[in-house]
Amino acid sequence: MLRRRVGEAIAISGDIEIEVMEISRTRVKLGVRAPQTISVSRRETVPIAAENRSASELLDKRELLDLEEMLRKVRRMASGTGGKIEAG
Amino acid sequence: MTAECELLAAPGGNAVVRSRWLGEIESDPRSELIFPAGIPGFENERRIIPVEIPSQRPLVYLQSVARPDICFAALPVFVIDPGFRLHLSEEECALLEWPESRDPVVGTDMLCLALLMSSGGAVRVNLNAPVVINLLNARGVQSIATDRATGYFRPGHFRLDPSGQWEPEC
Repeated sequence: MLRRRVGEAIAISGDIEIEVMEISRTRVKLGVRAPQTISVSRRETVPIAAENRSASELLDKRELLDLEEMLRKVRRMASGTGGKIEAG
Repeated sequence: MTAECELLAAPGGNAVVRSRWLGEIESDPRSELIFPAGIPGFENERRIIPVEIPSQRPLVYLQSVARPDICFAALPVFVIDPGFRLHLSEEECALLEWPESRDPVVGTDMLCLALLMSSGGAVRVNLNAPVVINLLNARGVQSIATDRATGYFRPGHFRLDPSGQWEPEC
């Protein structure tokens, strides 16, 4: 564990720096300086990224899913939509 | 970017976006959505066009402008859960250019879409990670609800059962 104040930073492996930018009552703003090859993200986005990759592969599996049948079921059960959007 | 991925100019000022699944889509640049931070796993995909095929409503395709091979299928969240409530974090409000002091109305201020995933031949969604689009400025973000943000437990994953009902997953 390391204790830091605003404006102070920690270094990881020499080329990654994490600086405490701001501290409020419940939150801390961190600045990260890292090579472009290093992915920096909030921890909760990690499983979502995996889900998004799965979502991007859905259309590859379309023949397995029978999208039309799925939509027939969805329309039958749907009671509303979250908004209307025009075709791109 | 390869030649295949380029956004092509089309007659009438519209652009043609190529999609591996939807073919060539003539798109008014004003209908383009901007995701300033992309979405997790696809941080570089910042320009997206929404495509709705009348025979497939309420399905919405979210096609990357830059990459023909990246396209998501999505449904409005209320199709899955009419009781859906949106909770935006401070950062998400900033990306959407939405004032944090105001609660957006889903369907009026914001369009909320759940990305469809497949798992074992079934269709699943995660309502705790909807794609949220500010209808006033076409900016988008994937909102990720944490327990701290919602204040209560809410099952995020739903699976489409054989009868067409969306069932929460335990």
